[in-house]
Amino acid sequence: MDGKEKTYGGYEGPDAMYVKLVSSDDGHEFIVKREYALTSVVQVNFAENRTNEVSIREVPSHVLSKVRYTNSSTKIPKLPIAPETALELLVAANFLDCQIKYILIHC
Amino acid sequence: MQSPPPRFKQFLLRSRTIGELLAPAAPFDKKCGRENWTVAFAPDGSYFAWSQGHRTVKLVPWSQCLQNFLLHGTKNVTNSSSLRLPRQNSDGGQKNKPREHIIDCGDIVWSLAFGSSVPEKQSRCVNIEWHRFRFGQDQLLLATGLNNGRIKIWDVYTGKLLLNLVDHTEVVRDLTFAPDGSLILVSASRDKTLRVWDLKDDGNMMKVLRGHQNWVYSCAFSPDSSMLCSVGASKAVFLWNMDKYTMIRKLEGHHHDVVACDFSPDGALLATASYDTRVYIWDPHDGDILMEFGHLFPPPTPIFAGGANDRWVRSVSFSHDGLHIASLADDKMVRFWRIDEDYPVQVAPLSNGLCCAFSTDGSVLAAGTHDGSVYFWATPRQVPSLQHLCRMSIRRVMPTQEVQELPVPSKLLEFLSYRI
Repeated sequence: MDGKEKTYGGYEGPDAMYVKLVSSDDGHEFIVKREYALTSVVQVNFAENRTNEVSIREVPSHVLSKVRYTNSSTKIPKLPIAPETALELLVAANFLDCQIKYILIHC
Repeated sequence: MQSPPPRFKQFLLRSRTIGELLAPAAPFDKKCGRENWTVAFAPDGSYFAWSQGHRTVKLVPWSQCLQNFLLHGTKNVTNSSSLRLPRQNSDGGQKNKPREHIIDCGDIVWSLAFGSSVPEKQSRCVNIEWHRFRFGQDQLLLATGLNNGRIKIWDVYTGKLLLNLVDHTEVVRDLTFAPDGSLILVSASRDKTLRVWDLKDDGNMMKVLRGHQNWVYSCAFSPDSSMLCSVGASKAVFLWNMDKYTMIRKLEGHHHDVVACDFSPDGALLATASYDTRVYIWDPHDGDILMEFGHLFPPPTPIFAGGANDRWVRSVSFSHDGLHIASLADDKMVRFWRIDEDYPVQVAPLSNGLCCAFSTDGSVLAAGTHDGSVYFWATPRQVPSLQHLCRMSIRRVMPTQEVQELPVPSKLLEFLSYRI
């Protein structure tokens, strides 16, 4: 992962190719291409923090994997969600959705 | 012809055809007996079966069939296709390689169902004991329901007859296996009953479900095997508890014979199709009608809906993503609907369609017609939203009554119970 950053550009600066998403629960860091990180949370934090780092309270891996496949034409793999985590995930996804609507209305 | 308001027409896309399987030409084309009343896919996606008319059922290995469509174009006459299937050097036993079979059932075939000893959801490991069948091997069976009320059970891998179940006195109109791998078979018949058979116990008939006043057209198990829906003439839609074999409730709302039913993959929705030109989506846990898909505009009033109007809906099927349903109607169209929109997202022309089924991976819809042929289309695919995936995961294990008790905002409760 680090090697790729050096070759293709890092996540510093406003026009970086990559952005880094950080989960504040356990500090997981996910580095993805900017064009894939279309979630509202990323846009909000650009405005607020002027950095390319975003803290998300919930587990971002599910969101990220979904965002990756929205923009690609590869075959969509199944995403197994255990029922125990599904409820939290639903609340989180609904929260992100509401944020999108908030941004759209207020921008 | 009545049609939806013009401004919606621009959103109706035509579905992509994948292929066709045409019935072999018979000397007496107009004679009754050619109809393809039923098509079915094996639960593991390995086989596709269709009743070719003239008392035969054809079993084709599904992946080879798909390859054939890609290699040889969309038209595929079945007579020569069996010769064109590539023969590979067999290095193992022949039972490991799927082979084509044509099965002569001896009577007009009205219904087909695949049964597997492997549960469709690999959630628990269950030790299954076998009596007559091969030990230690996954069994794949094909049940065929015939015109004289008999049910014949065939082994899919060898094409041999295993069991002959005799009890119904009239046409066996629909068959369905429980999806939990227990090889419980339910048959629905024009003799106004449904019968429950235990195929692990040599086909012993366990129970007769009585309650219909008229022909029973179709039946479907819920994905957790706890509920069975049966639909029939005289507007009947019944829900049965399959642990105690009692009737849970009757769902009222249709105005004519109800001819097809299907549960959503999470068991939270039930789709029923009727000759009253409508498809209803119900909540099976409390009997509410959640959605209505009409095939005639404006919708016929009950007096008109109770008669013939050339828009009878013949079949309905839920896709595996839990978001789309496909319906076949007498107006020569196949429609794909999203469960959250009022108008179809895709349509395809089909004359004399009688039955439809989604493939196991949900990518293809197969529809059988009056002349014994099958047509295949690509289903509309899209990435399901994360919220919908969560909803399906929760609803697989939780009925509507429990959902209402969850500590989440009311908007989410509405979403979870499919009431948006």
